[in-house]
Amino acid sequence: MIVYIIVALMFFTGLYGIIAKKNIIKIIVGINIVGYASNLLFILLGYKWGGIAPIITEDMTAVYFIEKAVDPLPQALVLTSIVIDLAFVAFLAALAIRLFERYGTFDMDKIRRLKG
Amino acid sequence: MNDKGMSEIVKGISRIVFPFILLYGLSLILYGHITPGGGFSGGVVITGGFVLLLLAFGKGYVFRILPVNIAKALDSAGALGFLAIALLGFLSSSFFYNLLPKGYIFHLWSAGTIILSNIMIGLKIASGLFVAIAVLSMARLIHTKEGIKYKQSRTTEEEDQ
Amino acid sequence: MSHLIILPVAIYLGAAFLIALLYKKDEKLAGVAAISFVLLSAIASIISGIDVFTNGKILYFAGGWERPLGIVLMLDPLSSIFHIMTNIIAFFVILYSTVYMKKYTWTPYFYTLFMIMLAGMNGILISMDIFNIYVFFEVASIASFILVAFGLRAEELEASMKYTVMSFIASTMILFAIALIYGFTGTLNIPAFMSETSGLSPVHLWFIAGLLFSGFALKTALVPFHTWLPDAHSMAPAPVSAILSGMFIKVVGLYVLIRITANIFIVLPQIRILLLLFGALSMVFGGLMAYGQKNIKRLYAYSTISQVGYCAVGLGIGGYLGSLGVLMHFIAHALSKSLLFLNIGAIEYINGTTEAEQLQGLNDSMPATTLFGSTGMLGIAGVPPMGNFWSKLIIIIAAVKAGYTGIAVLCIIVAVITLGYFLKLQRTVYYKKVENPVKKEAPKMLLFPMGCLALLVFISGILLVPGIKDKTLDKAVSVMENFSYMDIKIGENR
Repeated sequence: MIVYIIVALMFFTGLYGIIAKKNIIKIIVGINIVGYASNLLFILLGYKWGGIAPIITEDMTAVYFIEKAVDPLPQALVLTSIVIDLAFVAFLAALAIRLFERYGTFDMDKIRRLKG
Repeated sequence: MNDKGMSEIVKGISRIVFPFILLYGLSLILYGHITPGGGFSGGVVITGGFVLLLLAFGKGYVFRILPVNIAKALDSAGALGFLAIALLGFLSSSFFYNLLPKGYIFHLWSAGTIILSNIMIGLKIASGLFVAIAVLSMARLIHTKEGIKYKQSRTTEEEDQ
Repeated sequence: MSHLIILPVAIYLGAAFLIALLYKKDEKLAGVAAISFVLLSAIASIISGIDVFTNGKILYFAGGWERPLGIVLMLDPLSSIFHIMTNIIAFFVILYSTVYMKKYTWTPYFYTLFMIMLAGMNGILISMDIFNIYVFFEVASIASFILVAFGLRAEELEASMKYTVMSFIASTMILFAIALIYGFTGTLNIPAFMSETSGLSPVHLWFIAGLLFSGFALKTALVPFHTWLPDAHSMAPAPVSAILSGMFIKVVGLYVLIRITANIFIVLPQIRILLLLFGALSMVFGGLMAYGQKNIKRLYAYSTISQVGYCAVGLGIGGYLGSLGVLMHFIAHALSKSLLFLNIGAIEYINGTTEAEQLQGLNDSMPATTLFGSTGMLGIAGVPPMGNFWSKLIIIIAAVKAGYTGIAVLCIIVAVITLGYFLKLQRTVYYKKVENPVKKEAPKMLLFPMGCLALLVFISGILLVPGIKDKTLDKAVSVMENFSYMDIKIGENR
């Protein structure tokens, strides 16, 4: 149970970064933390206490593997979601650079030409 | 030897370590279907090698080894190759169908098209991430008396001179 | 034959990287390649759509892995309507952008990103696996963030920043929901999950449904979650706004919301009340905000919020009439809103501004653009022969029949507000008399797609003629009303 609480804590830390912080770089860090929290939750849901890594080796029978190994599917899915987070962060970093070029600041309060 | 980049110790170590990083990335890609790893992880490791060079030697050196234009072309080629492997499945029954012989388990050739897909993904990720980091590395801040200024070189060639 | 359903995604992905690889220097060839690829997949989608409407749904197993192991792709009448509309509108928009995008640099990369976005949208429509939907959703979204910032002006970058951060929160919610779905039921396949929903405890079910709902409602821009839309849709280049406002938010938002409410969480009918609430709120709020806008593109963006509210209300009412109203309103609004964004793009192309105050009396200088623009405006406002009138009428009747009289009254009031702001806009921008007008019409390549869309807007009501309605819309409505996969045996192809 404690691990899920840690995931929730991580999620809210990141969310705090996204919502409350004004610096774009801190927002990006918050986004990273939120992404890791969701990935961690995914991994934890597929975990078995005392399980082994889902890699089959030559001296392992199929029955033993199925009994002991943790669920490999969430790990595959998390790999995909890591790639997506990577794309988000890379794009946001490029965007932050461009925004600095135009506005001369990373402060979201000063980047405010659109309203209404 | 130009005086760009970091000190001679860092350069020397990077020069020695770089081939091993590449080798490790390649092994991750090629054995992705039987051990942990695969196209994405291997590609990221290979990019890591180039980033090491970029930090140690400066941009000019890295862009001479792997020009950004070629990296872009490799990026698209990797994606197209992956798509071609997927379309190969149409010959048999469906999209992504694994129609190559499966080989023996625990051997290098043991999963049909998976290894080819891994190679293509590795190519795409390595070159794509390299392009992303190269583009990000072209921006820099210049500290002047009036404050911080921003400069971005438009092309990779301009950066070198 | 069944390969046709995967073909649009494959074509778009191939086209994207082919253009990036081969034609990145040559804008003209890139444009021609883009047009031909979009045409190809539009044809593929229409052929597979005809097949779906005559013979029923098509199942496709990627990689030959059958249910429940593999990823199931499926095209049923509901997704087929969205599929055909996406590809047709994309074709007109890409025709338009070959001329419009000339004022930007790096046009080949525009086509690349556009194709990736279309691939993601098509992928969402054929997926029957919730994680697959998530991946394609992200592919389409990330391409759309870059497209919004394509012009690299300060405002565009700011809009894209807001849009990206908001979308990230949405996608995190969706990912959490997917993780919980997998944790509780051990499956990601939508039909398999559907049959498991009744076994979950209500708290878990509400938690998952709430996360999924708010994630996709944020992408649909229902009102508490709408803040990114007016910026992003008004700042993007005109063809991008057209596809974002016309199709994108409907595919990544509305379509998935329909699946969630009507198909997945059947055991949770209360979710429809939420939709009614948010829908009514966005209907009124969008309409009122649109009334006060000075910038025409921004006005259209707020009008999109208001009109999507209608779709949400129709979905919230449910039943035969409500579902029919949603689909009809979606079709009519997609056509007319993309027409309007293309139209304002053409005006901007000639006059260089989108501010209502600086644009006056365009009827004398650009008669054809004015004609198409007024068609689109009257279409959205719901003037009788056009499809929007009938869809609004159906939604209002459905609301009255279901006992939501207040909602029906709100729908009528918002329809009047909509008519009001479009007439106000028309009177100054299009039909105001100006002295010695100079005739400068938009180029023919901009006019042609607008003309085709205007024609489609004008005749879109034809879908409700009894003979045609039975064959198309009714089949989709029956998917929304009672959706069951229990009749599909494993290994069966239909």
